[in-house]
Amino acid sequence: MVNKKMIPRIESGIPGFDELTSSNDGTGGIPENTATLIYGPPKTGKSIFTNQFTYKGLTNEEPCLYITTDNGYKQFKTNMDEFNWPIEKYLDYNTLYLIDTISDVSQGKPSQSESYIPSYINNPTDIMVKVGSGVNYISKNNQRFRSVIDSATTLLAYNENMLIIRVLKAYLMRIYEAGGTPIIAYTQESADSIVETMLKSMVDNIIQLDGENMYIEAMKGIGKRSSPYQIRDSGITL
Amino acid sequence: MILKKTHIPKLDDFLGGGMPEGSSILFSAVPGVECEAFGYQILNGIIEDGNRGFIFTNVTDPNNIIYEFKNYGWDLEKYLDEEKVFFVDGSSKFIGLPTIGKYSIDEINQTEEIILKAIEDIPNGVGIINNLSTLIDYLDEDRIVKIISEWNKKAKANNTILVYIFTKWDYKTELIQNIKNNVDAVVSLNSIEERVIIGQGFMVTNASWNHPDNKMVLFFVLQPGGIKIYVPKLLVTGPYNAGKSSFVKSISNKSISVDRMALEKFPTTIAMDIGHVDRDGFVADIFGTPGQERFDLMLDVLAKEAVGAFIMVDSSAPQTFGRAKEMINKTQSESIPKIIVANKQDLPGALAPEKIRDVMKLDDTIPIVPTIVIENNGVETALKTLLKNLYGE
Repeated sequence: MVNKKMIPRIESGIPGFDELTSSNDGTGGIPENTATLIYGPPKTGKSIFTNQFTYKGLTNEEPCLYITTDNGYKQFKTNMDEFNWPIEKYLDYNTLYLIDTISDVSQGKPSQSESYIPSYINNPTDIMVKVGSGVNYISKNNQRFRSVIDSATTLLAYNENMLIIRVLKAYLMRIYEAGGTPIIAYTQESADSIVETMLKSMVDNIIQLDGENMYIEAMKGIGKRSSPYQIRDSGITL
Repeated sequence: MILKKTHIPKLDDFLGGGMPEGSSILFSAVPGVECEAFGYQILNGIIEDGNRGFIFTNVTDPNNIIYEFKNYGWDLEKYLDEEKVFFVDGSSKFIGLPTIGKYSIDEINQTEEIILKAIEDIPNGVGIINNLSTLIDYLDEDRIVKIISEWNKKAKANNTILVYIFTKWDYKTELIQNIKNNVDAVVSLNSIEERVIIGQGFMVTNASWNHPDNKMVLFFVLQPGGIKIYVPKLLVTGPYNAGKSSFVKSISNKSISVDRMALEKFPTTIAMDIGHVDRDGFVADIFGTPGQERFDLMLDVLAKEAVGAFIMVDSSAPQTFGRAKEMINKTQSESIPKIIVANKQDLPGALAPEKIRDVMKLDDTIPIVPTIVIENNGVETALKTLLKNLYGE
């Protein structure tokens, strides 16, 4: 019998993660259409996690709306290539929709793809317009999609904290309504504790990385879990 | 009263010809709706008419704004060289870039005073404030309202038009109202949504010098080109003989049926019905599609362009509900707002709306409106229900 309360899960792409997060019904992964915050000190693998999640989605024909605030297109591509997660193909197919808020595009865009969209780090109004049209664009052919912000840290650094809290609320609402599954990366203690508490209260799932262990502090449908992890050539492995 | 054109299509009509010198206007946008283009297009137009202006930016550095203007096909650089336009750069300093422009802001607290100076520099001109929302969380809420009122006072004395770009993040209603009360005109920028944003509209909700008629106009933004308006399409679809043509005729101020009598014995629509509705501030073209399956291709095409759909059923013919469901699914995949029109309620055996919901297994999100179209019964309710779905409360 199908349990009506069963929350569909989507594959994380991180070996061991879906097993760690498996619920009573045997399914694991990130609960679909819920929001996840991944946080931890610098250099603990938060971006690797979100990129691995993105790439898994792309290979599963789940498009991704990716908002990059830390790395411009070139650096983002290099980071993906390091783990052998080539993205050009998906930009060409327009299943990777990249909103780049950091590259200087006044001399021309670094990518000619239709789904490469420049924006500006301290213009949340413009970022939300582009999120809106991005969601519209990718969800036309696919009701199931992923979305990543890497990272909220940079948005908070360049803008008033409270404004970014408002923006992230609007962003999550937009993704929820369209049926997507968003992940937000954030560097621990980069903003004050009130902001951190607000960030945590906005999401459904909270994952912390400390360099050695991954802690599932909260996740829809399951209790707290944890596991050691390693960063290898192929990405994060539990 | 000297009116200056905004150069936004339709907006000047709604404002009674344009904006009086020295007045202020607030573009208040739902997050996700394009609003900056309104400010830029107004500036470009007013400068072209031979005036001067400034752009205050706290959202991106001036070079990026020059680049955006270029994308729209407007030559801001020329105006800057000719000193017809200058920047008040409230951005570069905060992102670690060298500041550009006549004035730059190093600390948020200087914003009020520097903009007052900028206003003084351009009598009879136009100043664009992009973006008001970005200032709010930096400053006290009361203070922001006071600052707007000071700027507007100065602008009035100097015959300068001020254009505020404002994104309605989740601020308190009271603050939004206070801001609106302190400007001469408010243009609301809204979205039409069904899961995703499928349309954007603007409407003048207030103008102190004119009585706007609360008309919503749909727009999109083109690069190059700027703001363009369009007449949205509403779709009328449903199984054969549900009364679609009569509905289009009944709802429209004017309508035509293409090839209506092509088959004399069985009058049916073999191409489409076209109507035009102009009601409660909403203007739309109505397209009625043929019900037969061989025309589904046309439904696909029309559904892509429509912003809303009426799905008509003959309430006394449950054998056609399966077909209706199929047509709902087609519009569903295009995710446009829709309602069911349960027609022919007067016929024997007609099912009540809730019974139809049961039989068709529809969830509560799709409204069902009972009608007797040939008696013009329920038609207005159907239109109002769909419009409410499109625009919210």
